[in-house]
Amino acid sequence: MKRVFKIFSVFLLTSFLSLGCSKFLDLEPPYTQDAENFFQNESDYLRALTGAYDLLQGVYVSFWIGEIASDNTIAGGESVTDTEGLHQIDNMTHGAVNNELRSLMRYNYCGIARCNFLLEPKDNEIDFPSKSVIFAEAKFLRAFYYFELVKVFGDIPLIIDKRLGGQEVLETVRTPSAEVYAQIEKDLNEAVSVLSYKSESSHSGIQGRVDKGAALSLLGKVYLYQQKWNLSSQTLDVVINSGNYTLGSDYSTLFQEANENNSETVFDVEFSSGQGGDYGCLICLEGNVTVGFQGIRSYDGPVYGDGNSYNLPTQDLYDFFEYQDSRREATCLNIDEFIANNSPGTTYTQGGGGHTGFYNNKYIKSALEMGNLGDNDLTSGVNYRVIRYADVLLMAAEASNENGDTSNAIQYLNEVRNRVNLFQYEIDVTQPPWNNFSDSQNSIRDIIHRERRSELSCEGHRFFDLVRTGKAASEIDGFVVGKHELFPIPQDEIDLAGGNWSQNPGY
Amino acid sequence: MMSVNNCFSRLYFFIVFSIFTFSAFTQSIMVTGTVMDELKEGMPGVTIKIEGNPTGTTTDLDGKYTISINDKNNILIFSFIGYKNQAIQVNDQTKINVQLKLSSESLDEVVVIGYGKTTVKELTGATVQVKGESIERLNIPRMDQALQGQVSGVTINTNSGSPGGSSSIRIRGLSTFGDNDPLILVDGVVYDSEGLNSLNPGDIESINVLKDATAGIYGVRAANGVIIIETKKGRIGAKPKFEVGSYVGVQQTTNSLDLLNAAEYALIKNEMFIRGTGSPIFNNTDLKVGTNWQDSIFQSAPIESFNFGVTGGSKKSSYSIGGNYFSQDGIVGGDKSSFDRYNARVNLVNSLTDKLTLSSVFLFTHEERKTLPENGLGSVLYNTINAFPTRDIRTQDGRYEYLLEVNDIINPVAQIENTHNNALVNKLVGKQEFEYKINKNLSFTNRLSYNYSSVDNKSFSPLAWYGIGKYANSAINENLDPRMVFQGFQLSDPDNLVYDSILVEQGASVYEQRATYLDLNFESYLNYSKTIDDHNIKATLGTTVFSRRGDVLNGTAFNIPNNSIDFADISASLTSGQINLNNTGSYEFEERLLSNFLRAEYGFKYKYIFSAILRRDGSSKFGPNNRFGYFPSFSGAWIASDESFFNSKAITFFKVRTSYGISGNDQIANFAYRALLNGEGDYVFNNSIVQGVAIGTPSNPDLKWETTRQFNIGIDLQLSNIIDISANYFVKNTNDLLFQPAVSSLIGSYGPGGYPPYVNAGDVSNKGVELELAYATDPKNKVGMNVNLNFTYIDNEVKSTPEGVDFLPGAGFGVGGNTATRFEVGFPIGYFIGYQTDGVFQNQEEIDNATVIQPGAQVGDLRFVDVDGDGVINFSNNSDKTNLGSPIPKFMIGSVLGFNVFGVDISTNLYAALGHKIVRNYERQQPYANQLSYVLDRWTVDNPSNDNPRVTTTATRNGVFSDYFVENGSYLRVRNVQIGYVLPKNICDKFGTDYIRFYMSANNLFTITNYMGYDPDIGAAQGALSNGIDYGFYPQARTIMGGVNIKF
Repeated sequence: MKRVFKIFSVFLLTSFLSLGCSKFLDLEPPYTQDAENFFQNESDYLRALTGAYDLLQGVYVSFWIGEIASDNTIAGGESVTDTEGLHQIDNMTHGAVNNELRSLMRYNYCGIARCNFLLEPKDNEIDFPSKSVIFAEAKFLRAFYYFELVKVFGDIPLIIDKRLGGQEVLETVRTPSAEVYAQIEKDLNEAVSVLSYKSESSHSGIQGRVDKGAALSLLGKVYLYQQKWNLSSQTLDVVINSGNYTLGSDYSTLFQEANENNSETVFDVEFSSGQGGDYGCLICLEGNVTVGFQGIRSYDGPVYGDGNSYNLPTQDLYDFFEYQDSRREATCLNIDEFIANNSPGTTYTQGGGGHTGFYNNKYIKSALEMGNLGDNDLTSGVNYRVIRYADVLLMAAEASNENGDTSNAIQYLNEVRNRVNLFQYEIDVTQPPWNNFSDSQNSIRDIIHRERRSELSCEGHRFFDLVRTGKAASEIDGFVVGKHELFPIPQDEIDLAGGNWSQNPGY
Repeated sequence: MMSVNNCFSRLYFFIVFSIFTFSAFTQSIMVTGTVMDELKEGMPGVTIKIEGNPTGTTTDLDGKYTISINDKNNILIFSFIGYKNQAIQVNDQTKINVQLKLSSESLDEVVVIGYGKTTVKELTGATVQVKGESIERLNIPRMDQALQGQVSGVTINTNSGSPGGSSSIRIRGLSTFGDNDPLILVDGVVYDSEGLNSLNPGDIESINVLKDATAGIYGVRAANGVIIIETKKGRIGAKPKFEVGSYVGVQQTTNSLDLLNAAEYALIKNEMFIRGTGSPIFNNTDLKVGTNWQDSIFQSAPIESFNFGVTGGSKKSSYSIGGNYFSQDGIVGGDKSSFDRYNARVNLVNSLTDKLTLSSVFLFTHEERKTLPENGLGSVLYNTINAFPTRDIRTQDGRYEYLLEVNDIINPVAQIENTHNNALVNKLVGKQEFEYKINKNLSFTNRLSYNYSSVDNKSFSPLAWYGIGKYANSAINENLDPRMVFQGFQLSDPDNLVYDSILVEQGASVYEQRATYLDLNFESYLNYSKTIDDHNIKATLGTTVFSRRGDVLNGTAFNIPNNSIDFADISASLTSGQINLNNTGSYEFEERLLSNFLRAEYGFKYKYIFSAILRRDGSSKFGPNNRFGYFPSFSGAWIASDESFFNSKAITFFKVRTSYGISGNDQIANFAYRALLNGEGDYVFNNSIVQGVAIGTPSNPDLKWETTRQFNIGIDLQLSNIIDISANYFVKNTNDLLFQPAVSSLIGSYGPGGYPPYVNAGDVSNKGVELELAYATDPKNKVGMNVNLNFTYIDNEVKSTPEGVDFLPGAGFGVGGNTATRFEVGFPIGYFIGYQTDGVFQNQEEIDNATVIQPGAQVGDLRFVDVDGDGVINFSNNSDKTNLGSPIPKFMIGSVLGFNVFGVDISTNLYAALGHKIVRNYERQQPYANQLSYVLDRWTVDNPSNDNPRVTTTATRNGVFSDYFVENGSYLRVRNVQIGYVLPKNICDKFGTDYIRFYMSANNLFTITNYMGYDPDIGAAQGALSNGIDYGFYPQARTIMGGVNIKF
């Protein structure tokens, strides 16, 4: 019996151990950090800031929409069901079920959540010298993400300095766009007050981190979109008068990787060719997907690399440019002409998603990129130029003109035209047609709008410019006034938020 | 929590002490003797009882016993599990020797249930047993496939027919979003279902499938049912018995697709392009047959198996030892898709003392598996189906032909040649179990079991070129020049983030991964059993502690010399110095469970049996809020045929069973309740990629157990002692499903490395009926037959979805965004949803006069049904999409039919799955891609087809996901046909053997189905919502083999 008791005591002991010792289940995740109580030092904030920058790379969606929805380009691709959402947007047949619009919403809100994670009040907030700069950059990024959303969807829920739980989502409403804009302005103004220009020693000097010029320019653009002409003009003039920017000398090479971060660069989204990737997760890539996607389909020849024939310029755009405007060739690659002149015999194929004879020559895969890591359609290191100085000048020109300062407007306009050796507008306000102020302002407005198309086509601005200036209906086939100014909120997003949001009109 | 713990420990004390209070014995006349088995060896452990008296004794190790009786008229009952009872009246004998006979009665068969054994008769749960013999006899290389169609209520679908591939095993339907695998125990050791093919079918003694709530003794994961596999064991005192078996066979594809040949392809494509672009692509369509790409990749492949086993025992120990070598090449790719397996097994049972028994199990497996890309865009079969028949395999100058016109289709023959994926698995599974018989009523078992595996993967990617623009290119041109990539590095000044970069040659690369996994499980339990008069009491009380850890280390090395497999090792990499492309990765995980369980069983006269189970599980998967779950279940049985009023001659046994219980599931990612910074937050600064941090999956501290409530009612019936019938009706509701449904973008989880938070949401119901019928003549008869039929009906329905979610979108169709499946209330999990077609528009008037506007419709296009009745077919929202069928078979029927006539045996094994659909998703919807020949019946002016739309390269809606792509998936398959011959005893004796059987056997001989794809038996390789979507599935082979089994 003694042995029996021995065994029993072992058994009881193990039972007690297992019952009493629920600590056995207290495991800590190995080699990773918890989101709570994460921010312990400067480096933690910096790493979280890098995480917030990451979503800038999702800008490709609104870049595509900005062109494909407009009269500039068609969707293209392998077939009409290849990225079907873009084809629907191209044809103005898009509805509330559209993967591209959903991606756009997802990426930008993810960026916002990452900014909010950094900016949210913390129990044990630490302080260090560079913190205000880090916060200022996070606010810039949050403003950028909100601006992307508000210009596409209009009213959108505004979430500031907190992370939402599942229940809180159900309580959200669509914040009126005016309030969203107010928050964007607030964030940008705060960023402007803290950040310094890249040229100043107080800036970290790290390429890719935004500076005061970027914040001012984005703020000026945000004012412009709201037709706050005065504020826009003032803000953009600060950038112009800062002396930090000049136009690059050669427009045709402006979009090459070698010419990144030059004197014309105000705000770039940075990409790298240093990491491979696949189609499974485009937002995970560090390469610029638009470059490979816009490459020439099955092309085997010099200069260019093969790609997926997306976002193809239209004949309308090609024909739009002024006589001898070199920006035409720099924007639209006439593929058959190019092959005939440069490498007869080179072949390519036409995608089933459409063919115009033109390729987007600003962001297009080059032969140099053929050797990149796999998949080389996805690993271009070419930065996306979000705001370049020419855009700042044209926005400032537009705002000046609307403010009545037509001569300032013409001066900025001519600066942009001068780079590509086009004739300069001269205005004598005593002579017709310029002696009637109203006519003159209208003419200059048209000229600036035309100039924007010549200068900035295939860079993702066109659709939003057309909507903003009220010209979309006359330029875009199928555009319905009162409906297509905004895109529909993805139906799934309405449902997932509890079904309480209204849809945009017409959808 | 502590107070609950205290409750539990008090309970322990109470039970332990109450157990000790029982004891009784008497004395009078002594009877002694020996009990022997059929081989006249002494049998230990045989129970001897006096009829009408609850007391009794058992035989010792030599089979000897002593029992005292008070009356000469007493009748002694000798019983042993698996043997027929014998009753002997004592009279004047004082020495009674008995030889027990093996029972052929199914009711006495031993069934392994959780932490114990019982007989079929006493079972209260819905449990089915499959004999190892019937698995082994099928000669189906994989355990999981061998189980298909053997047990009602168990659905087995093949995830891949490639050698060493896996299956999805579903007991009573799909009940959850994530892991639907049942708990699999091999000799009590937790085994993963993926790894089932590492078992040697020849080692299996029996498989018991616990389908209902009585599986709840296993708590966690019992929600998906439990499969208990027992390996062969020896018997104490038995002479050694040797078994040798071998078979050799050849495998072929069962099916090849009816694809267009070159002439047909040219005809169709010309028509397509003329309609699209205005000009044909072939000037000459007289192209004959062209290349049959399927012939170029399918081949006959060998399969072979050698098996060896010996069982026996000495006075104090028994042993069973087995060994197996199995080798199989693939019908696609031959030795590039192969599986070799070596098994070694040792089962030892040692009686250390009269009361203490040590059982040891060691199962060692070594596997070598090679694989090709399978199941999806980019797989070998996908490329094969879509490759152009107008191209040769090679050009005249000998290089592989490029298939340039479709970006992601590459030459499948070249692809096979360039694929080198090897996996090496070493697996050691075992246990040490001490069973201590405290007294004749009470035993105490402690066991430590382990499952250790080390998995080595190596893939070599040589420099390869498939033509311009192909995703699979690893070289930059046809000269196989390597890529040169910029590699950034930080200069050595740590204060200033100064970066530079240089060009590095990438070259051929090799990826290696070593993963080791270790499960450790300590279990300790008491079993109590006592009979007092007509009352039987059984109790089990125990605790288990389980830990699973994994450790994974991997690396990629570039610039492998000579572009050669001979140097395919990280060590051979030529990249030099500090700056190279080689990279490494690693991760570790650990998860734990802590559980207590209690089972109490009460039987009255073996007629009324009740059982109750309570299990408490704690899992490290959940946060402190909801770490522990309590899972009770109850079951009962009434053996009506034992009632005195029941005196039917025809019905020799009749039992009614019922059970109800709750079980839990914790199969989600570790630390899902917390928000970890495991997202990806990389951005480019100074032209270099800088790693930031980001939240991966947002937290949900309230995450709790997913629970399954299951009700079962069933009957077991025996007719005239020869026909066994069993029937069940069950309702299984799974609530609080654990998964990651889509969430609002506002939560911010859709960035790089981000996933939606885990939640408990959604309910699924499975209802069904199961029937089993078995008939067998006495196997000793010279002429006999056996029949085994089983039938399953399952009705799967989603009962609720997460708040704010009408449905959850599932797997995609084609390329670019069509969603084909959903998880939606009122429909089966993963049902197909899309547009319904209604023929083809035959002429312009039909379009013009149609009451429903179909945007963009032209003559020859599919006509869709306006489901929502708004007069328009909506392509930009979901309003006209409708249910196109379910991937889950409504009915499954399995049958085994066998005859034996004077030594010749013939058997067939059939399996049918009926009432489900399969999506044809292996066709690239692309102008140049090859197509199945049904397209020849496309609509043209001259061929006014109402089934197939016109062909064109221009934009149409014919490619949207519709019932045009959904096929009837029902099939009937002859899984095995076998003819064998057992040599007569006298000839066997001449060879000094007991038994010799020769056989010829065919697996998957033929399949009756309307499905156009390779194989209708397809699983869900990519999760529950990808069920029934055929991505170019690697089919199961048809195998013809011959073999021999010898016993001596």
